[in-house]
Amino acid sequence: MTDSELHPYVELIAREARRPVFTDRMGRDRVMAAIHAEPVPRRHVRLWERVLEPRSFRLSPAGSALIAAGLVGIGVIAGVTSTNRDVRSPDGQLPVADVRSHLPVSDTVVNFVFIAPQATNVSIVGDFNGWDATKTPLVRAANSGRWTVTLPLTAGRHLYSYVVDGAWNADPNAPIAPDDGFGHSSSVKIVSRGSAL
Amino acid sequence: MSDDAADVQRVLAGDVDAYAALVDRYYDRCARFAVRMLGNRDDAEDALQATFLRAYRALHRYQERDRFSAWLYRILVNQCRSIAARRSHRERVFVREEALLLNAPDRTPNWTGEEEEFVQRVLAELDPLLREAFLLKHIEEMSYEEMSALTGVGVSALKMRVKRACDRLRERWERIKND
Repeated sequence: MTDSELHPYVELIAREARRPVFTDRMGRDRVMAAIHAEPVPRRHVRLWERVLEPRSFRLSPAGSALIAAGLVGIGVIAGVTSTNRDVRSPDGQLPVADVRSHLPVSDTVVNFVFIAPQATNVSIVGDFNGWDATKTPLVRAANSGRWTVTLPLTAGRHLYSYVVDGAWNADPNAPIAPDDGFGHSSSVKIVSRGSAL
Repeated sequence: MSDDAADVQRVLAGDVDAYAALVDRYYDRCARFAVRMLGNRDDAEDALQATFLRAYRALHRYQERDRFSAWLYRILVNQCRSIAARRSHRERVFVREEALLLNAPDRTPNWTGEEEEFVQRVLAELDPLLREAFLLKHIEEMSYEEMSALTGVGVSALKMRVKRACDRLRERWERIKND
């Protein structure tokens, strides 16, 4: 419904309600006083961001020569040891260790299941995908209301929620996380180290 | 980068006073929603205090791809819901609070007060969920997609709530006309 379709009386109410309300300066001052009593919020910097952060450093000519010689030595050794080496088995398959190395960096994989027979769209949001409802859709099993997705997760405590046709739903089979103040119920998943396969 | 995103970056870099710019930018708009939703200034100010404080504490979680106003509104809507739920068993103090509001010394010029009292009373008659949807749509002038993102309610349910709110208001008009 657009404004142009509003009943004149409804439009009158809406127009009056759009008027600004009186606010006093003290209210803002009280907000800022409370803010100044709080610790300064900091953006969380992940370990890999710290590692990949560009740094500059000084190096003497002698030090540069030493490092260059070391790198050449490593290259020679690697060349010798890898000559004529084929890691594939006779049937052309990669060994298990190499298959694992192609998986995303994670400690385990977790299968998420949500039952929603009437839903047309289910996805999962959590700290592992930036709470982005478009990133991780669940796939519906044929002729059932069972939606699933399997995700690689690092060990630790993860918060997540299902988004069912746009509405957030906590996992009914998992512990509920404390209210985050945003009105969305989240569930908790504790992931321990395990096999990635 | 928007002004909002730049201010958020400054706060996260340690410049706490940059948050005052965000408070100044959104305080009046949030106040209007809170007063219209809760019906009195005390509750509205509680909601505003809690909203700006919670937003500050969670600022490191704000993603620049989201609009700051939508992110802030999500917190505000939930604070208003919590306060409304807490006071549901409390005696309504509407009339007394309205009187205080209307007697405020530096209220908007040319504001007769009668319209304010009238509109607050009419909105208070709506069920809270219908009132919330009506305010977001026709007072804050949000799209249904924006409303859905900040309330977690589906678009069709929100459309139904707005329609019902308009129906209730129209029914009220019919009653007035026939009296």
